Amino acid sequence: MESRKPQRSALVDSYVVPGDVILDLADMTNQTIKLGAGLRQDCDTIQATSAGRLRLSKPNKYWVENSQKRYVPSVEDTVLGIVVDTKPDNFLVDIKGPNLAFLPVLSFEGGTRRNIPKFEIGTLIYARMVKANSIMNPELSCMDASGKAAEFGQLKSGYTFETSTGLARMLLSSPTCPLLEALGKKLSFEIAVGLNGRVWVNAPSPSNVIVVSSAIKESESYSRLQQKSMVEKLLAKLS
Amino acid sequence: MMDPRWRPTVNEREFIEQALQSDLRVDGRRPFDFRKLKIAFGREDGSAEVELGETRVMGYVTAQLVQPYKDRPNEGTLAIFTEFSPMADPAFEPGRPGEAAIELGRVIDRGLRESRAVDMESLCVVAGKHVWSVRVDLHILDNEGNLIDAANIAALAALSTFRRPECTVGGDDGQQVTVHDSEVRDPLPLTIHHLPIAVTFAYFGDGNVMVIDPTYKEEAVMGGRMTATINSNGDVCAIQKAGGEGVMSSVIMQCLRIASVKAADITSKIKREVDDYTTEKALQKVKRTPALVAKKVNVPDVTMEESTHSALENQASKAPNDGQQIIKGDDDHQNIKRIPPLTVDRTVKHKQTSTFVGGPSNWDPYSKGVSLSSLRISQFPDPPAIPNDGKHEDTKPMLTESNPEVKSVLNSGTAGESDEVKESRSPKSLIDAVKPKHRRKKKQHGNS
Repeated sequence: MESRKPQRSALVDSYVVPGDVILDLADMTNQTIKLGAGLRQDCDTIQATSAGRLRLSKPNKYWVENSQKRYVPSVEDTVLGIVVDTKPDNFLVDIKGPNLAFLPVLSFEGGTRRNIPKFEIGTLIYARMVKANSIMNPELSCMDASGKAAEFGQLKSGYTFETSTGLARMLLSSPTCPLLEALGKKLSFEIAVGLNGRVWVNAPSPSNVIVVSSAIKESESYSRLQQKSMVEKLLAKLS
Repeated sequence: MMDPRWRPTVNEREFIEQALQSDLRVDGRRPFDFRKLKIAFGREDGSAEVELGETRVMGYVTAQLVQPYKDRPNEGTLAIFTEFSPMADPAFEPGRPGEAAIELGRVIDRGLRESRAVDMESLCVVAGKHVWSVRVDLHILDNEGNLIDAANIAALAALSTFRRPECTVGGDDGQQVTVHDSEVRDPLPLTIHHLPIAVTFAYFGDGNVMVIDPTYKEEAVMGGRMTATINSNGDVCAIQKAGGEGVMSSVIMQCLRIASVKAADITSKIKREVDDYTTEKALQKVKRTPALVAKKVNVPDVTMEESTHSALENQASKAPNDGQQIIKGDDDHQNIKRIPPLTVDRTVKHKQTSTFVGGPSNWDPYSKGVSLSSLRISQFPDPPAIPNDGKHEDTKPMLTESNPEVKSVLNSGTAGESDEVKESRSPKSLIDAVKPKHRRKKKQHGNS
């Protein structure tokens, strides 16, 4: 039983660069390891292929987390995409990735050939990544795993802006990031964050949208404490 | 394939227009606010990098002696070149300049030239034969909207710090042009009468909402755009309104009033930055001691005798083509220039017919540039930069022997250390001049 327990890499939560050996499989037997983004198996070793922080989700999922402008598709991510073209079977959606993503016209709740939604070019869509591999275009879906709409679909009004993927992940982290928590105490707004580095904000008054979006954009390199004080300063200026 | 140009989402488009109705802009500015302007200068004269918000433009000014245009024999020329790198914006294609690149160049060119901001007549050296051709290169480094204003400021800042080498006319027929090295005579600034500032307005809706200094997103959404080039006195130098939504004349008048206020702000900002830069440069010059200079120069002279020769040949073959050396790019080039002038002179003679070797200062927008025989610019020697005192005296006379024109220049005006040297050995004869030449030659052979 003891030998079945996965061995933990020494580099977890530290920064790795491409070529770093994360795990040596030679001294592990009969264990399953799941690799995420930025990792690769090379003979008996697991190596990093991108720079960033190594993460481990117990018991055995490893991936490398980094912050960049370009998005690398990965299954089960929620993303914000922009419709750039409509084809009979698919919408072509820009997700800031290396390729356009396909959104099949039937992958909406209760979607049939007869009730295909009409999206004009430039429509903003909140969707879930269902297929992501290196040889095919990624595929999106506007349903959760059980076939429900679950908030996915077109986002109307509001304002979108682009951030780094790291900032998007920070906004989605739990516990809720102090920035959104502090802003939410004073202002009412809706927010949708795509892991591909797009953020959508909506509020009753345009000025609130602008305050929230500029606060988020500014917090790129701030620590939790700095975020808090920045928001406090901002809100004091408003009132 | 997908058009690489960024298109705003429907949401953004609606929001930007809706917010503007209540005088709000998505980056928190008010409609008539400029973004934060930052001007930085390069290590060399005539280069400036401007940041307007996230937009970044680099301006770089160079000059070259050319034949003037037939219809304006006593005026120099000024040309603007733009470089839109695909790194700045995926919509920019490498190679041929796009519509935006041409428009940007034309607007800035018009503002500078039509208003006669740069004095062209002072760029004339010999009427009808040699004038300075000033070239402004504008490199777009990052496009976050309003490239015209940023590029215009970059061009002005670069032009204000640019120094052209001084040159004198002499010789038997009064047609010999001598270009002095910056080490010998301080280079001269351009005469700039006023600074024409471009201020861009974007119009939304039915032309009744307008903002200044539009961002990238606003540019994608706007209905029309107008650029007014105006100086701090309020003189309108140029207006560019290419297509887009029609605008009432009263609105244009209002824009011009706003633009003149903004132009005054930006002019003072540019002037302040340029003054800071020039005083800093002047202070640096004061600190430099001759002993230090000599020490530095010594190193390449002794250690790389071998490579020096090939480098010299390169330079020599370049020199007749250019007639001058204005661009002093890398340190390498600098070192070469400080090699005792005797060798330079000799190689020039031998290599006059050698093939043209490309280099940083070899651009030539006017292919009918001056041929070597007509120009006959004497390669003015650099100040003798030999470290030990004995050698120092030696170098002096030998150049006079090889090139009579240079002698006159030398006597008329050499600055700094070389003057002292001359005084210490005032009676000179040809024999004096010849001897050290041989001595030096031998020494070189021994070394290599």
